Amino acid sequence: MSAHNVTEQAKDYLIELLSHQAESDSMNWLKSQCKEINNSAKAMKLFLAFGKASKYFDKSTLRLNHAQAKEAEKIRKGFTPSAWDKLQTARTVLILSFPQQDEGLWFKTMNQLFETGDMQELKSLYAALPIYPFQDKLTDRAIEGLRTNMTLVFDAVALDNPYPSEYFDERAWNQMLLKAVFMQRPLFLIQNADQRSNENLASILIDFAHEKWAAGRNVMPELWRYVAPFLDDSRLKDIEKVLNSADMLEKQAALLACHQSSFPKAKAYLSKYPAIQKDIEAGIINWESIGKSFAETLIKN
Amino acid sequence: MEMYIDPHLHAVSRTTDDYEAMRKAGVVAIIEPAFWLGQPRTEVGSFKDYFSTLVGWERFRAKQFGIVHYCTIGLNSKEANNEALAEEVMELLPLYATKEGVVAIGEIGYDDQTAAEDKYYRLQLELAKEVELPVLIHTPHRDKKKGTTRSMDVSEEHGLPPHMVIVDHNNEETVKEVLDRGYWAAFTIYPHTKMGSNRMVEIVKKYGPERIIVDSAADWGISDPLAVPKTAALMRKHGIPEEHIRMTCYQNALTAYSQSGQMDESDWLNPEPIDQRLKHAGNSVLRGGQTPRVEGPSDYVEN
Ligand SMILES: [Zn+2]
Repeated sequence: MSAHNVTEQAKDYLIELLSHQAESDSMNWLKSQCKEINNSAKAMKLFLAFGKASKYFDKSTLRLNHAQAKEAEKIRKGFTPSAWDKLQTARTVLILSFPQQDEGLWFKTMNQLFETGDMQELKSLYAALPIYPFQDKLTDRAIEGLRTNMTLVFDAVALDNPYPSEYFDERAWNQMLLKAVFMQRPLFLIQNADQRSNENLASILIDFAHEKWAAGRNVMPELWRYVAPFLDDSRLKDIEKVLNSADMLEKQAALLACHQSSFPKAKAYLSKYPAIQKDIEAGIINWESIGKSFAETLIKN
Repeated sequence: MEMYIDPHLHAVSRTTDDYEAMRKAGVVAIIEPAFWLGQPRTEVGSFKDYFSTLVGWERFRAKQFGIVHYCTIGLNSKEANNEALAEEVMELLPLYATKEGVVAIGEIGYDDQTAAEDKYYRLQLELAKEVELPVLIHTPHRDKKKGTTRSMDVSEEHGLPPHMVIVDHNNEETVKEVLDRGYWAAFTIYPHTKMGSNRMVEIVKKYGPERIIVDSAADWGISDPLAVPKTAALMRKHGIPEEHIRMTCYQNALTAYSQSGQMDESDWLNPEPIDQRLKHAGNSVLRGGQTPRVEGPSDYVEN
């Protein structure tokens, strides 16, 4: 499917989603803006509508049913607007309405939006990466988005987004993962993470864990997912250390890593914790459940 | 716990210690007017990055400490005197004026009261009308009384209703006319120069709380980010009624700037959860009720 097609389909799909969840006045405004942006190809038209959209759409989360989520996936593999809010959806529709025939103009306009965007606007801009045209020329932009310290913006690139796993080289991918761990983001929302795990990443993460331990701190349990495929004798010592910790989530994570490892000595640990082993085998304990439980510990107190 | 708004504070030049102290003292929201940086900028890109900082990073930074951050966008009077640069900045303004959390065009007005200042002041009054935002006027430090009168005259020439205009940096000499003409009169509590807390107390005693707004204008100079809560405390000590304190240190600023449609009490009383992702995963850090608290521990980046 051509990129142009994806963009068009995604736009129609998002308009349809919004139309059931937003005021009809707001939808009328949006549709008339789209038409004008498409016809005039004037960047200023898009800029103003992009800013003003906050007067017409709020930041409540979209409601997607199962069929709608599947449809998104059909338009573009990995396209996951389920955590999007209405405002960002409207903004994405506006962007997708800007003419794409002139590649130079498209990039010039988009660069200006990225350079002048506020926090919420940047979130919209980055989350829509997978449905933009010129996919292979957006890698630097995506990496730039990860340099931020604003969680919202970092998440827009890293979480629920297929773009990084498809376009990042190993170095950029590993940097993203490490920063996500550093910022304690919910790693289970990173797409295609297991496919992109690699030996270098495992070693970077282990170093990170050692640093944290030396400072008397814990590391997030989801980290062990990326070490699991590369367990060996020396890394098993770290797993042992985690198993001896008092924290239940960390223990679960270490054992889940052992469960996923093909290293026989790792497997052997599982039998020492039959209750957890049972839950792992039953699929009750998985990376998502661990990630969610960990997130809860962060927002408690 | 009392709630305060500091509707004029240049947070870019303040530290996180200040944010912490402000939050502890009851400041729930601040407005950061676009201004100069203590020295003139020489490139339009510097303005662009500065405006982006106001709507992006500073907003995020304030949120980490439980303070909601708004800003005003404008070309200040000092830098309006570099006309070539001013032209370029004017082209940039519409892009930022329409952004979320931008509650006024400002701070604009006169400094030396030159022809160039007059030109860009007027152009920005027109912009404010077009984007339907209030205006924050910075009155000059020198020749203040005439400058203040002129600011209002010109604003009226352009058809702006007084209730959409906040005149800042008032003193005993300017306040009467500003109030009589129906404008919001803001006072900057700035050590040494503009206005002290004691004088502020006298003004509220004399004129009452109607349309009077207290702010710190804290910036890179000798200034006090706690000026609003401290002035409130002093008013309390002098027996000024609680309702008058609430109006001058909270409600009037809210009423004036919420005319932008970009500022609402619920922004701090019922904040959106900081972490949409966590909410999405079934958890919410949303705390209802009257406890203004915006930060969530999950949002602290450990360094
Ligand atoms: Zn100021």
